[in-house]
Amino acid sequence: MSDIRLSPGSVNPQAAVEILGATFRYPGADRASLDGMDFRVERGGFTAVIGSNGSGKSSLCKALTGLIPHYYSGDLEGSVKVAGVETQSSSVSQLAYRIGYVCQDFENQLVRPTVWEETIFAPMNFGHADYEERATRILERLGIFHLKDRFIWQLSGGQKHITAIAAALSLEPDIIIVDEPAAELDPFHAESIYALLKQLNEREGKTIIVIEHHTEWVAKYCRDVVLLSGGKTVWHKPVAEALSNVEELQAHQIYPPQVTQIAHSLDVGRLEERYPITLEEGITYLRNVGVRAPTNNAEMPASPASEGEVLMRYDNVGYVYPTLDKKGHCVFDKLSLSIRAGDRVAIVGGNGAGKTTLLRMMTGLVKPQQGELSLAGKPLRKMSPEQTAGQVSYVYQKPENMFICDNIRDDIAYFQKARRTDIAEKLTEQLMSRLHLNELKDRDGRLLSGGQQRRASLAIGLSMRPKLLLLDEPTASLDVVSRKETIGMLEKIGDTIEAVVVATHDMQLVAEWANRVLVMHHGKLVADVSPSELFSNEAGWSSWGLMAPQVVELSLGLGWKQAALSPERFLEQARSNRTEIAEVNQVVSY
Amino acid sequence: MSLIERWMSRFSLEQLKMTLWRTAYGNKDTFLSRLDPRVLLIWYVFFTVSPWFFYDRTVLVALFAVSLTLALTSRVSGLILFLMGVSTFMNLVYIGVLALFLGGSGDAFLALITLTLKLLIMGLASVAVFTSIDPEKLSDALLALRLPAPFSFGISYGYRMIPILVEQYQDVFASYRMRGCPPARKGILSWRIGYYFCKICVLAFYPTLLNTAKRVRTTVEALEMRGFTYTLVSGDARRLKLSRMSIRPIDGIFCGLSILYVAAAVWAGHQLAL
Repeated sequence: MSDIRLSPGSVNPQAAVEILGATFRYPGADRASLDGMDFRVERGGFTAVIGSNGSGKSSLCKALTGLIPHYYSGDLEGSVKVAGVETQSSSVSQLAYRIGYVCQDFENQLVRPTVWEETIFAPMNFGHADYEERATRILERLGIFHLKDRFIWQLSGGQKHITAIAAALSLEPDIIIVDEPAAELDPFHAESIYALLKQLNEREGKTIIVIEHHTEWVAKYCRDVVLLSGGKTVWHKPVAEALSNVEELQAHQIYPPQVTQIAHSLDVGRLEERYPITLEEGITYLRNVGVRAPTNNAEMPASPASEGEVLMRYDNVGYVYPTLDKKGHCVFDKLSLSIRAGDRVAIVGGNGAGKTTLLRMMTGLVKPQQGELSLAGKPLRKMSPEQTAGQVSYVYQKPENMFICDNIRDDIAYFQKARRTDIAEKLTEQLMSRLHLNELKDRDGRLLSGGQQRRASLAIGLSMRPKLLLLDEPTASLDVVSRKETIGMLEKIGDTIEAVVVATHDMQLVAEWANRVLVMHHGKLVADVSPSELFSNEAGWSSWGLMAPQVVELSLGLGWKQAALSPERFLEQARSNRTEIAEVNQVVSY
Repeated sequence: MSLIERWMSRFSLEQLKMTLWRTAYGNKDTFLSRLDPRVLLIWYVFFTVSPWFFYDRTVLVALFAVSLTLALTSRVSGLILFLMGVSTFMNLVYIGVLALFLGGSGDAFLALITLTLKLLIMGLASVAVFTSIDPEKLSDALLALRLPAPFSFGISYGYRMIPILVEQYQDVFASYRMRGCPPARKGILSWRIGYYFCKICVLAFYPTLLNTAKRVRTTVEALEMRGFTYTLVSGDARRLKLSRMSIRPIDGIFCGLSILYVAAAVWAGHQLAL
């Protein structure tokens, strides 16, 4: 295996970023966040940095931008060079000309009211008289010049992200670090961000470094991969080789692309050194090893018309959201649907399709402006959120919004205590042990990690013992392991729960968990189908701006009539074929 | 539903947020917004201080007419005018009662009305000016008038933060409602329900502030990387911002006419008094 990492001491003028033996400990921290890290990216490279939580990814970003050690004081040992400049002897503002940084919660990085003001902010601060030309140039290059007078809060998530990139590029740095571009965006917008980064890399020779959990993006766009663990570099390899290390990646809680997982599982004898990492490679590879469509693949299971009792019914519901120009934005119009016991509904659609409003309406927080809504046969219009609470519970996308007490334990007990029920204590104990929160019970929810916060918010939702559980983006911004954990939890939650409704961008969640999908598009409910129906209808999902999980595209690409919804399902259906082939091969080799 | 519950469900923070935004950013084509922000600020100071030097009601009425006209042409939001209207009305009622109670004649009432008139001139002028001047221009103007840079940045950043804060507050408030339990007995005039809402209104501030504080960490890092601290020392940004402001003839005409108008009002006041 070739290892790109150079031995310490070698100096290469071509390096965009070069870190040798960097060690840094935040003041008061128990352990070092950078622990002898070596890291090197060539000029013009497109590198992905991967690693589990706490592996030192964000500290690496802060070291490269000079925030460590100039802003976060502490001792930085070793050498950190950005475009040939030692960060220790430079300053954060000088480094800003060499490296631009877009962080994961990019919304908080935007400090000015409009796109234009945001873009001229840095050049103006540094006294460039040509700030207007600079900003115009960047906005034109990024294709958002037409948005220049828009207010930040009028932008979609994707547009905000591009604005943050524009601001980071306003001083024309040669290196850009983007922390998890896909975390807060729907797949469609995430794709456009990656396309933009690719363009900057190829046309303008910018060096791009991304921190990324989703290896499918890494496979599609990056050229090499750095794996970090415990503040150290484990290895730095070309992308195909890196992602083929399936077992090692999984040991670091990283999941390779679905095609790679499938190829790895099929390769029982571990004969291959390298697996396919992209969809196209996967299709060719699987064709070559002889995977064919399963024989009984043609029939489509009818969509599961749930027979359960109707929990929630929408009857011609309309809602208009107030806007700055007083015209109002129609979120949806004449929407009718019903949710029955036994449903596991996923509501999908791009950013701003009205998914959150749809969910909140079920809690009584948002009242419909037209039409009627009923909860178990009773009109919801007259019910306050306090009244619906015993039957419906809503779990926010941002768990922080649910932490209203000083610690997790009180938060979970809040609902039952407010109602003075006698099960408060017992239920809280039970939920905490079921969701593995016992060790965290005395901590403030805000200070937990993303995965822990999600578990805590789920426990709060369940503490209301609802019939109908509503979850807003339960897997957003989670690393892959926490994501799997959350999906696993959804499988077995709540004895009182009769139906679960999830609003999500996460198509793997839809494919693996839901039994019914509602597609919202331009304020209309355009489809109410089962996941397999949805994903077998490629014309449909692509025109609604959705993206299918890779395994779906893989099975469709192989000519299967009915798409496999998860790698496991794919393997189940394909395996019979493969064993036949394997047997034939064996016979031949004897 | 009780009256208070109905009122609570109708009053939406969403609407309040929109009103604030419109007041801050929504009026780009009113007359006052065409003026240079520095001139406008100086004019505003003059116009709010000068009423206190006049006791002549004719002058005050003339000034009141100007500020009312400006407020009406600046498309001030209905909510703000309504609140002002209510407070003025209450003020008048209280003055009337006070005058009666003190056994005073119409004179006492008139004297107190003069005070209300002055306050009203100030209020309307403030509303008109701050509706027309957007926070960006205001912050630049303050910078030009030699106020410290962090202060003027704070104003524009504050406006940028308002929608975020309101949204955050709204979410936390909803959390309290979705998990809370209003009192079973409503009490006289539903006072218990009122108390319940007031209590969560206050409680919701704490998580809001903690959540916001957490988010601001990223903001502070971003400011650092984009030269905010640098420019506080070097003053480059101030220089560039000043160079994009200019005083035009319209500013001069506006100031000139204002002075002439006040002079004419003073003269007219004298004529009437004689």
